[in-house]
Amino acid sequence: MSNRTKTALIIGGGPAGLEAAIKIGQAGYSVTLVEKEPVLGGTLRKLCSSFPRWENPQELIDFKLQQLDQLPVVRVMTDTVVNAAERRGDSFLVTLQGKEGSNQVDVDAVIIATGFELFDASVYGEYGYGTYPNVLNSLEFEEKLKEWTAAGDKPEALQTVAFFKCVGSRDRSKGYPYCSKICCMYAAKQAGLVKDLFPDSKCYVFYMDYRAAGKEYEEFVRSVIEQKHVRYVRGRPAKVIPEEGRLLIRAEDTLMGIPIEVTADVVVLANAIIPSSGTKEMAELFGIKTGKYGFLDSDSKSPLQAGDRVFFAGACGFAVESLGAQYQGAAAAAEVVALFNQAD
Amino acid sequence: MPATQLSTDFHKTMKLDNVNTSLQEEIKLECGVDIELCMECGKCSGGCSNAHIFDFTPRKVVQLVKIGDEETLLKMDALSTCVSCHLCVDRCPSQIDIPRIIDYLREKAHKQGIEPTRKNVQLFNKLMLDYVQKNGRVAETHLMVRFNFKTGQYFKDAEMGRKMFFKGKLKPFPSKVKRIEQVRLLFRDVPARREG
Ligand SMILES: Cc1cc2nc3c(=O)[nH]c(=O)nc-3n(C[C@H](O)[C@H](O)[C@H](O)COP(=O)(O)OP(=O)(O)OC[C@H]3O[C@@H](n4cnc5c(N)ncnc54)[C@H](O)[C@@H]3O)c2cc1C
Ligand code: SF4
Ligand code: SF4
Repeated sequence: MSNRTKTALIIGGGPAGLEAAIKIGQAGYSVTLVEKEPVLGGTLRKLCSSFPRWENPQELIDFKLQQLDQLPVVRVMTDTVVNAAERRGDSFLVTLQGKEGSNQVDVDAVIIATGFELFDASVYGEYGYGTYPNVLNSLEFEEKLKEWTAAGDKPEALQTVAFFKCVGSRDRSKGYPYCSKICCMYAAKQAGLVKDLFPDSKCYVFYMDYRAAGKEYEEFVRSVIEQKHVRYVRGRPAKVIPEEGRLLIRAEDTLMGIPIEVTADVVVLANAIIPSSGTKEMAELFGIKTGKYGFLDSDSKSPLQAGDRVFFAGACGFAVESLGAQYQGAAAAAEVVALFNQAD
Repeated sequence: MPATQLSTDFHKTMKLDNVNTSLQEEIKLECGVDIELCMECGKCSGGCSNAHIFDFTPRKVVQLVKIGDEETLLKMDALSTCVSCHLCVDRCPSQIDIPRIIDYLREKAHKQGIEPTRKNVQLFNKLMLDYVQKNGRVAETHLMVRFNFKTGQYFKDAEMGRKMFFKGKLKPFPSKVKRIEQVRLLFRDVPARREG
């Protein structure tokens, strides 16, 4: 056994990866945290506000970055990806590819925290994503909300915004029969933010049901309906038709059994959460298990273990909100620390 | 049996843009009932003592307010078939007072001169109130007999009436409350309403 301090490689610097890096660093082991983007924070960095407490996500990221700053054992490498990995007994020799070139490091355990992507809604011809400029996916809209909130130079008025839930998700015909778990919550959040920014606007959320299984979640969605007056319409929209610069939506009010129409300025799609391309690449590189849809998988006995010395955390395992990603980051860190402690 | 249709005609598309949200606000203001609290669960309809004969069950009444279909609401048969038993409110997780909404709609329909779908219900209410005004309480036997005669249903409850009489459940003669003047004062202050 070598005398060098044990090192963990963490791939992905979103909420899950950050949490794991901090915990392992605080336990006294070395960490190499690689992030392919120039900055840390993952998807959370792109968000305008966070459910269920309307918090500014940047504050959480800043707090985590401060914690990282106090940990010299953690080496952060942004603009970096993992190119190759070779198993050598109880460690891995990995090749890191940065902007300035590549280098090789020895690591004793790996946590994959490469996050998620949004399902490409352009396969739904009936919604016109990619064709009609005002049909946006949820992250594109979140960035707009962020711009409008921060800069204050929002459009003068926004009459009507419609949110479509379960776009891709719960749709066998598109290959994703599962529920993406977080879209009910962020759709409520985004609709609530629109009402805050444009009190005279109308917001419709088209839904089959809303799933708010979490601490303070149900209350959050109800408050959006009852206090912010977002109108929930039960039914899955069937068609978006461009009409004089606006978007006509056709659906059924399944509670009354009547066809309904509404004209909106913007349509926001709550796309299915799918594993990111980075997640798929890492699964291949480390030869680990993935489930039917490409999310990293484990046996349920050690829920965050994908292989020998390979763990994962956050949305690369399945759709999860940022708090859940943090829990998993901390739990994966505990696995690694336990492993390192045993070996010493 | 009158079966009200949605004012939009069945299967004619409803435009949400044109939704009359003022009805919802009116009901909040006038009745103190906030239908945005409704979770669309249908427990009210499941509990309703008369849902099997409603054209629009309690949940649908709330939903019609949501989609602002006032025309349907004022014409619907449920204004006549709701017996204000309050089972729906009792069951509702959000305690939405549906009979209060229905009462309000009845008044509104009446003011607009919209005829109730069931004349009998109106007649029954009138006869019942007449008894209360006269005796301070309802004489069930007399009320049923008068109602059945006025509606031409001469033998409708005869068999049940006979059985109840022999079991001592029916009082042949109406009785008065002791201080009938007090009841009459009530009627003076609140003129009897004629709607169903
Ligand atoms: C529209 C929308 C709104 C949301 N709103 C909320 C909200 O209000 N509250 C809330 O709690 N959650 C919200 N979420 C969910 C939240 O974004 C996720 O829970 C969280 O980002 C998951 O964290 P993660 O670390 O697992 O993944 P990510 O945040 O996706 O981070 C993964 C990181 O890995 C990096 N990476 C990927 N591949 C590689 C690779 N090969 N090499 C190196 N790095 C790589 C990525 O660049 C990224 O930085 C929202 C999601 C969406 C889509
Ligand atoms: S979380 Fe909600 S919107 Fe997302 S797939 Fe599940 S039910 Fe649909
Ligand atoms: S029981 Fe209450 S919450 Fe449920 S549908 Fe009826 S009115 Fe709505």
